[in-house]
Amino acid sequence: MGEGKILAGFLAPHPPHLVYGENPERNEPRSTGGWEMLRWAYESCREKIKAWKPDVILVHSPHWMTIVGHHFLRVPHLQGLSVDPIFPHIFRYRYEMNVDVDLADVCYEEAQKEGLVAKKMTNPNFRVDYGTIVSLHMLNPDWDIPILGISANNSPYFYSTEIGQEQMMKLGRATARAIAKTGRRAVLAASNTLSHLHYDREPELVEDMNKEVIFNNNQYQWDMRVLELMRKGKTDKLMSILPEFMEKAAAEVKSGGLTWMLAAMGFPQIPAQVHGYWTVIGTGNAVVEWDLTTGVMQ
Amino acid sequence: MPKGTIQRAYILPGLPHLTSQMPVDSWETLRRGFHQAGEQIQKVKPDVLVIYSTQWISVLGHSFQTHSNPKGLHVDDNWYEFGDFPFDLRVDVDLTTRAAGIASSLGLATKTVNYEGFPVDTGVLVTQRFVNPQNTIPVAIVSCNIYAGQEDSLTLGRAMRQAIEESGKRAVVIACTGLSGRFFTEAIDPQQDRFSRAEDDTWNRRILDLIAQGKSAEVLTLSAEYAKAALPDMGFKAFAWLMGVLGTPTAPGKLLAYGPVWGTGAAVVEYAL
Repeated sequence: MGEGKILAGFLAPHPPHLVYGENPERNEPRSTGGWEMLRWAYESCREKIKAWKPDVILVHSPHWMTIVGHHFLRVPHLQGLSVDPIFPHIFRYRYEMNVDVDLADVCYEEAQKEGLVAKKMTNPNFRVDYGTIVSLHMLNPDWDIPILGISANNSPYFYSTEIGQEQMMKLGRATARAIAKTGRRAVLAASNTLSHLHYDREPELVEDMNKEVIFNNNQYQWDMRVLELMRKGKTDKLMSILPEFMEKAAAEVKSGGLTWMLAAMGFPQIPAQVHGYWTVIGTGNAVVEWDLTTGVMQ
Repeated sequence: MPKGTIQRAYILPGLPHLTSQMPVDSWETLRRGFHQAGEQIQKVKPDVLVIYSTQWISVLGHSFQTHSNPKGLHVDDNWYEFGDFPFDLRVDVDLTTRAAGIASSLGLATKTVNYEGFPVDTGVLVTQRFVNPQNTIPVAIVSCNIYAGQEDSLTLGRAMRQAIEESGKRAVVIACTGLSGRFFTEAIDPQQDRFSRAEDDTWNRRILDLIAQGKSAEVLTLSAEYAKAALPDMGFKAFAWLMGVLGTPTAPGKLLAYGPVWGTGAAVVEYAL
């Protein structure tokens, strides 16, 4: 077995609206479309992922919030009906996924070596959160690649942004070592929106794009500032402004997914490709790719 | 039709630790309190249990469960080791729908939720297991809107009170909430469970003392300070909702049990109205 490697990382936002807009068979509600800029962005990523033939997609989701440590899905096969508790009218999705439990075991061990509290989720009746499902569906709707779901530990909220980010960096390093040790060719997904202030009322037609605008211009400006740094490969600068971004734009990246992913990739100073940006119920969302197969990390 | 009445009201904790068989002192105390509440509720034979749960989080306003028979199997996201929660609930759809309508007319954003497979939350299911284990009493379930402040929570409660009165039903009302909210964030020996901060315990006791003296209005006034100091479950807004339903009574709330659960505060409080 050769040493594993990370092929790419994606910022992979998870509003269920994207699945709803696409109308896949697995999702019960029907729409007339909407949010195409993000959905088409994901379509470009799907093609690349298929071509790479990765062994596994790892996803860090803010909607699997855990209090005691960082948890890894550790059940070989999970399936069920996911009804979004927030948006049940647009997301009622039948999921079925194979979990890379061997990788989960090694991630768990490596996380512990970093001094993190880690747990393996072994309850076969566990309901996978919609953040995990939406990001994975949008990246690979065929579900023919094993996955590994990782929880978002609540440390940024219980302690401080700094402590939370530190934990995510350790988790990222642990994940990278686990991938290397297990010989996996892996794709990472940080299931995060950017700015996260949102409207609390929906239009009558949920997918009415005439009503879909950013919550405020400050959020938009912050999103663009962050995306510009990503596009230019200024990852160090990006990391230095993330805490302010989290505070000023209520950015969902506070939950740790982006930091985890960048840490796992060794904070690559390579230009990221922004496949698309659009708002969902007022939040800022971007599909962004760091392709390590062509960058300095190869 | 006679006006509906509220027979009893409770503050109940909703963490799944209490449904385990683990012989932890504080958990045992809380279980006894829960059983005491359950026995009383069964004696009262209400037409409906009205439950507001801090663990049913909503962001698009306030949600109301209007599926007549939610059923399924629930596993807690955090505490999955405490087992599965099969459920098969009977919902009082008329009361719930009316409460949502009144809340909406009072200017609150509301949504009714009527979907197969909707994830009923741990708090509701823990409560059910203790106070309505045979599922003999229909329920009305209301979400906790994370953006609601005290005023909106009071208004939401008032809407439910009006709906109960109009329904002619005899109701028991439950605010399913924890007290101080600082969990231990590492594995602990449950036998060593305690408050994660002594100051949180002090704050909880201060609040519970006021409740025991019938000083509900004072608790509402103190809630913001309590929220900042002890990080109570969802800002303790479940209490504001309960006060909205009960009309901020001067009747004392009887403390049936109090103790820590994984570092947080939990209490069983009864209002005999």
